[in-house]
Amino acid sequence: MTDLAHPFRQPRPPGGHGWWVLPALVPTVAVLVGGLGLVLSQSLGLLPFAGRPNPGLDAYRQVNAAGELGSALVVSLGIAVISTALALVIGTAAGLAIQRRRRGSRAVGAAAAVTVPVPHLVGAATMGLLLADSGLLARLTGSTPGTFPAFVGGPSWAAVIAEYAWKESAFVAIVVVASLRSRAAQYDEAGAVLGASPWQRLRSLTLPLLAPALIVTGTISFVYTLGSYEVAWLLGRAYPQPLSVLAYQLFTSTDLAVRPQASAVAAITTAIAAVVVVIGSMLLRRSRALR
Amino acid sequence: MRPLRWLRSTFGVVGRLGLVLWFVVPLVPMLLWVFANRWPYPSVLPTELGTDGLHQAVTEGVASAMGRSLLLAAVVALVATPIGAAAARALTFGRVPAGRLVEVILLAPIAIPSFAVVMGLNIVLLRWRVPGLVGVMTILVVAAIPYTTYVMRVAYLGHDLGYEEEARTLGASPEAVRWRVHVPLVLPALTVSAFLAFLVGWSDYIVTLLVGGGQIVTLPMLLGATTTGTGNESVVAVMAVLCVLCPLLLFGAITPIRRRSQPTHSAEIDRPVAAAELVGSR
Repeated sequence: MTDLAHPFRQPRPPGGHGWWVLPALVPTVAVLVGGLGLVLSQSLGLLPFAGRPNPGLDAYRQVNAAGELGSALVVSLGIAVISTALALVIGTAAGLAIQRRRRGSRAVGAAAAVTVPVPHLVGAATMGLLLADSGLLARLTGSTPGTFPAFVGGPSWAAVIAEYAWKESAFVAIVVVASLRSRAAQYDEAGAVLGASPWQRLRSLTLPLLAPALIVTGTISFVYTLGSYEVAWLLGRAYPQPLSVLAYQLFTSTDLAVRPQASAVAAITTAIAAVVVVIGSMLLRRSRALR
Repeated sequence: MRPLRWLRSTFGVVGRLGLVLWFVVPLVPMLLWVFANRWPYPSVLPTELGTDGLHQAVTEGVASAMGRSLLLAAVVALVATPIGAAAARALTFGRVPAGRLVEVILLAPIAIPSFAVVMGLNIVLLRWRVPGLVGVMTILVVAAIPYTTYVMRVAYLGHDLGYEEEARTLGASPEAVRWRVHVPLVLPALTVSAFLAFLVGWSDYIVTLLVGGGQIVTLPMLLGATTTGTGNESVVAVMAVLCVLCPLLLFGAITPIRRRSQPTHSAEIDRPVAAAELVGSR
């Protein structure tokens, strides 16, 4: 498009120039590439805190030999898988309940909306007050001291899983409502008119429509849970630790020689997150191809 | 079929009640502890009400911690919102080389564990003597960019440039078009972006902990220390409620702007599909 009145002026794209991505792109690339590059080099012994560089996989071997890595992987993946699955099921149910506009739908919507902006740290604090052996649930069930199951700090990690499932289900619910707003009602009505039962409509219409939203929210909350620190630190147990807590403990150890091991744990956590994101985007592509 | 329908609707009501309880019950003990001066074990309700917890929280410096958190969150929102909006506008209307890759990079911070990034950067931040607060703010701005970019991207996909072109044709200066046409049209989305970025700064724990090394005492830092420390549930509850109250008040305050409808040229933007397209690299 040339400006006829000003033939020598540069034509300006109507929406502005492409280089306006730079103010966001430059810090993002600097922080991500810098952070991950440095964490990888430290884990490979290239950037020791003190002394000469000693390239190799020593840090990975040491943290694996201590037996901590394997159990941390099991704990982290277990917590992330179970809490994400719960969040998806409960969040979908809540989203459908809100969207159907029956009695109580608005209350479900309000309750989910209040939960979304609660920081996970606050969620952990209040889950502790609810589920600890002197918490509200123990009081309500009238259990005598010592008989209440160890939800907090116990081998089941129940309080940690409950906190993630609780917070992330609200997130899932909000996204489900937003993604059903436009078309689902029409499809549902058409299905009903054609004689499909509620169960058939859920399975063959609503869930396929929701698949992209569920894949995206499931991936985001899985990756978040994997990389989050404070909930497992407050509500979990001292041993075995999930990956983030193990990395933090190694990182802040007075023994500077174990720093590379902290970086190794961080690098492994990032690699798992990357694999999960790749799986998520592959599933997403398939769910869109099926339409 | 009558009884079956009755059964089904009862089941539905019970289910919805269960969902309300699922979301609300975890918040109840926190609210009960706020004004509990005494609440010995087997009692189901506090035995003595009062404001001891509040006073104790004030002596432990909750006010200055809140001020620091507000500052941090406000800076993150004020920086991440305009740069996210600029990026989203460029991606939507401008010519961006490798646009899809740029989009994936801008969304990537959501998928990368922040503790890993911070552990890597820490050595540089220390060697270059970057002040802790600056380091925390920079990393949190990057953590907020995915949210601001995504929300603004959805907004610009439904934004009609015709309004701006019309104003230009009628002789308005680029400045006037920006502030009197463009920004008012996307104001609801800008507000949501700023709120989400504020939330990133306000709720952060691990970045402040690792970069600040315990020297930057925000409200979450204080809450974390109190929760593991004295075992005074009432103080914990006061701090936790303050931590929730601020975002909730802000959310209420922006609701009139948020709800303002945006005139769009495509009547229906399919948000989930847009999300899918943004997140999934094709």
